[in-house]
Amino acid sequence: MSRSPRWSPLLALCATAVLVFTACGGAASPSPAASAPGSQAASQPPASVAPYDGLVYPEDGSSACGTEGYSGQIGSIKAIDAKTVEFSLCAPDAAFLSKIAFTSLAIQDSDYLTTTGGGGEALFRNPNGTGPYKMTAWTTGTEISLDTFADYWGDKPLTPKAVIKWSPEAAQRLVELTSANVDGIDNPGPDDFATIEANPDLKLYPRTAMNIFYVGFNNNFKPFDNEKVRQAIAQGIDRQRIVDNFYPPGSEVASHFTPCDIAGGCSGDEWYPFDAAKAKALLAEAGFPDGFTTKLHLRDVVRGYLPSPVTVAQDIQAQLKANLNITAEIDVQDATTYLTTASRGELQGIHLLGWGADYPDVTNFLDVHFGVGSSDQFGKKWDDITGPLVDGAKTADPAARAEFYKTANNAIKQHVPMIPIAHGGSATVFKADVAGGHSSPLGNEALFAMKAGDRDTIIWLQNGEPGGLYCADETDGEALRVCEQVFESLYRYKTGGTDPEPSLATGCEPNADSSLWTCTLRENVKFHDGATFDANDVVTTYAVQWDAKHPLHKGREGLFDYWTYLFAGFLNPPPPAP
Amino acid sequence: MTRFLIRRLLLSIPVLIGIVFVVFALARIIPGDPCVAALGERANPKTCAEYSRAHGLDKAIVPGFFRVDGKIELRVADIPATLTANQFVDYVGSVVKGDFGTSSKFGLPVTDLLLQRLPATVELALYALLFAIVVGIPLGIISAYRRNSIVDVGTMMFANLGVSTPVFVLGLVLAYLFAITFKDTPLALPPSGRLAAGVAVIPLAKVWGLEGLGGPLRLILDFASNIYTFNAIVTFNFSLLADTFRHMILPALALGTIPLAIIARMTRSSLLDELGLDYIRTARAKGLRDRNVVMRHGFRNALLPVVTVIGLQLGGLFGGAVLTETVFNLAGVGRAVTEAIASRDYAVIQGFTLVIAVGFVIVNLIVDISYAYLDPRVRLA
Amino acid sequence: MTATAPPIPEAVAGQLVGEGRTSLWRDTLGNILRQRNAVVGLTILTFFVLVAIFADQVATHDPIAVLLGQEEGAKKLAGPCIHALGCPAAQPEHYFGIDQNVRDVFSRVVHGTRISLQIGFLTVGFAIVIGTLIGAVSGYAGGKVDNTLMRLMDVILAFPALLLAIAIVTVLGTTLLNAQLAIGIVAIPIYARIMRASVLSIKERDYVTASQALGESGGGILFRRILPNALTPLIVQGTLGIAGAVIDVAALSFLGLGAQPPTAEWGSMIGQARNSMFAAPHLVIFPGVALALTVLAFNLLGDGLRDALDPRLNR
Repeated sequence: MSRSPRWSPLLALCATAVLVFTACGGAASPSPAASAPGSQAASQPPASVAPYDGLVYPEDGSSACGTEGYSGQIGSIKAIDAKTVEFSLCAPDAAFLSKIAFTSLAIQDSDYLTTTGGGGEALFRNPNGTGPYKMTAWTTGTEISLDTFADYWGDKPLTPKAVIKWSPEAAQRLVELTSANVDGIDNPGPDDFATIEANPDLKLYPRTAMNIFYVGFNNNFKPFDNEKVRQAIAQGIDRQRIVDNFYPPGSEVASHFTPCDIAGGCSGDEWYPFDAAKAKALLAEAGFPDGFTTKLHLRDVVRGYLPSPVTVAQDIQAQLKANLNITAEIDVQDATTYLTTASRGELQGIHLLGWGADYPDVTNFLDVHFGVGSSDQFGKKWDDITGPLVDGAKTADPAARAEFYKTANNAIKQHVPMIPIAHGGSATVFKADVAGGHSSPLGNEALFAMKAGDRDTIIWLQNGEPGGLYCADETDGEALRVCEQVFESLYRYKTGGTDPEPSLATGCEPNADSSLWTCTLRENVKFHDGATFDANDVVTTYAVQWDAKHPLHKGREGLFDYWTYLFAGFLNPPPPAP
Repeated sequence: MTRFLIRRLLLSIPVLIGIVFVVFALARIIPGDPCVAALGERANPKTCAEYSRAHGLDKAIVPGFFRVDGKIELRVADIPATLTANQFVDYVGSVVKGDFGTSSKFGLPVTDLLLQRLPATVELALYALLFAIVVGIPLGIISAYRRNSIVDVGTMMFANLGVSTPVFVLGLVLAYLFAITFKDTPLALPPSGRLAAGVAVIPLAKVWGLEGLGGPLRLILDFASNIYTFNAIVTFNFSLLADTFRHMILPALALGTIPLAIIARMTRSSLLDELGLDYIRTARAKGLRDRNVVMRHGFRNALLPVVTVIGLQLGGLFGGAVLTETVFNLAGVGRAVTEAIASRDYAVIQGFTLVIAVGFVIVNLIVDISYAYLDPRVRLA
Repeated sequence: MTATAPPIPEAVAGQLVGEGRTSLWRDTLGNILRQRNAVVGLTILTFFVLVAIFADQVATHDPIAVLLGQEEGAKKLAGPCIHALGCPAAQPEHYFGIDQNVRDVFSRVVHGTRISLQIGFLTVGFAIVIGTLIGAVSGYAGGKVDNTLMRLMDVILAFPALLLAIAIVTVLGTTLLNAQLAIGIVAIPIYARIMRASVLSIKERDYVTASQALGESGGGILFRRILPNALTPLIVQGTLGIAGAVIDVAALSFLGLGAQPPTAEWGSMIGQARNSMFAAPHLVIFPGVALALTVLAFNLLGDGLRDALDPRLNR
């Protein structure tokens, strides 16, 4: 099993000044805008001139904001009429458009959800979307076949048919591409970039890095409870050498934990420069003039932040020995156990891990790892890190936020819970005759926008097989990418980019303080099974994910994990485990 | 004969029970959670605790043993309560009813996944075995005929070279050679997969209008339908046949080198044994041509142990093709189990391994019985 | 009709008489050396054993030393450079090239010989010791004990070897020792069966009854009468088993479940290099060839031994 190393979903307009961020359970009071007709009685006769039987969630028309036990950001969702939907939020959110463009919020047909019961094979093996491609067959283990959807509202896909295959081995993917058996592949191996660029039949499309690879310490275990030891190691690893040798072009050394493309991420001092002599002196000062012995834990899983885990681990091991006389024994653990032991704080040595962005905000990086609610990966938390993070999350003004993150970043540099090493780039490669070939920073390559020469099928080879195609309940980038071909959300990310643009909604207008959004839906849109798209489909799609007690809240695994990352909380969440 | 048959069958039953138990225990001892495997870095203890509860994973595995937080715990006090209320009993109960559970990764019933993946392995095994027989037996004969000469050493070295080169190296080299170096030449072969992308195989049930059929007959039909060679021959679809064949050549070559060495070796030693016997000496003394002696007289008798070995190899090939399937990206059973181990997909691990092991036992049984049928001396033992 | 004892195999006859043993061993050795297969296998094997013993002298560098920044001009993934064959003198000499962590491949392959041979002997040794014990007990005791033990062996045999090994390693943890243990466990039934077959065939022979009548203990009979008979198939199967064990452990390491980095084991070297095959085929070819040759040597030796020691073979 392997997943797309690149699984960051949303990237907002980072350059824009207005990035008002919502706080979890913020105190701002929602302003109920134009009151909905409130007609949710299902007994209305469907006469042609009858008012639209628009759904409303929560069903009694109230707002969920401020209710007991609710920590989410959405207040209510209302279908005003057949082509208007209103989202009421608990706090202003200028990033709303980015969120609704995300793949997990792809619109499903409400009747289809009802007939399939919101879960089960019928739903996640038979996607019924509105997208330019429709799925014709899924041969488990081998491939997924797509064909043009004749009744698509927009431009037909440039290549009539598409086939999606997968292979977990980078070399195998390249062999398939070089032998002209497929049209495009994902994630070539870092050592192959030069070979690919030298081949005139292939074209490389680099992908920007929205991730971080770090070397972590648990300050509950000796000798990493000594801050000087951690600071010494921070200066004793030549990070540039690691990036130069073991990362593909387009990767960069991390100056901060958060990539600099994210607003406020790189506020504060840059990380320590490499200085072996200083590091050794500091280590001696800490009480270890002859170094010490420890373990170097990792898992052998390829990710965008770490394309060659074992190779990098061996280099770090060699550097620790050469620069600091630290003997680190490499401990490659099973991928699943590793994550559990790491997050429980049971790894006693140095551990290697990383993170790929979900959401283009500092909170998705710093808060997740160093905030109050973060795991025990690094041991005891520091107040001078958690404090500014809480403040930063609550503030709206970008400049003020940057100040808080400056304090936090400097504290992180001081305490060294981990050493940020690199932001790892990746790429896609296509045959030279594929017009429109590209890579997406979010991993959402749009096959329908590519023309595979004069062939009638475009064949794409990715890293792994989707588990299911009901993307509300999927977290794997491999599944999300396939969903992007057959489903559509209210907005979508520009092809190959991160800016949201209208898709199933022709436009979503905010009110004055961005706490109420009114979306106008596109007309004459059909689903693959022939059903018509209207506002109730939108409400049902969102409600099913939002309300943990909804009868259709089933999915494939029943986790609906991305909802919590986007809108912070479920309605009627299950009681916390004792 | 019947007594022999019954005895062998009865002896197989404890083996089968043992297999079910070992498979189950092994799958569940593996540390780690399917939820963590699925969510990766985004897994958090609350979500996964909820997941465990929803999927019945916090029930006792076997009496007294619980899985807590991905680790195994023994609670002696709970043994009496969990003697029949445990996951093992549940599993055996459902297996007996023919229900192998649902894959946690794909959400599909394990039987469906089996029907899709097992034919691929079976097809690969058959092609590999065919290659091994066609090349191995002649090599064995030549070696036996020219015992201890340079030819003998040469052919044995050649036969052994295949089994000595690890399949993952051989596979990589073959794929690279035939897909890239020979690209655009008539020798070019596809480096992975069972069929070219986008080729649709119509299930036999559809072709013959038998879609209403159900039960075990339908299972067999679907199974046979997914053996593309069989499907192609039976529907006279020669382009499908050619495509399948082209994709099977390299994996069959890589995998077949293992049984090839064993078959060659067996043919050689069995033939040598025969050639030492008196009746061969008589035939030679009578002045018969040596080639006739070897082929007409010696070979046919020597064939028996070779056939036995071929049967045993077939059983072994089903489960042993993991590396070939990995290198050539074939959706077979071996790779499915390795992936299931990685994602802690218990139903698949248990179901698939069980089927492979049972298949092996059945094949062994058939081989034993046919051996007894052909060689009366064994029956009486 | 005279009371003729059943034909006593030469090997046992020599044991009973207690003399002529030297000529027996010399005879056997002669037989072995007359098999060309065995000679070829033995030659290759001797070469590798010598390399393994003198690994430190043969290797040009430290197998786990990263040369980045230590050696002038050492470039990652550089191909083989042999000055005698025309490689420019400015480039550092590396017979088999440089790997992705900037280490000398030749030294790693040389040290890998030591590791692989150790793996082969240890794994099969373990399997033979446990297997013969089980087989002997089973064959000698008979009845229920025999049945239970053999069914247990059948259960282990029914599992595909690699899958069982993967499962065992995943449960026990990923180390080279556990990988060897897993492969060893999977191999036990083969030796158990051989031992049991030997025990069964010898148990009823007259000379065994005679020994029992003379008051020899069960264990004594086992060791001094039965074991030597089982020796031949055990040696043959064992030699072939070493070949299999080396490949199987290499396969586990290839999958990342065996030798831990930075150990220079051939299987893990190939495994780590498999995604760099385009850029650096030498990383797969040299360890691959070394692995193939070593295993080939054991296979040929095993074949040759069988020819030499099998009494039924027409010479």
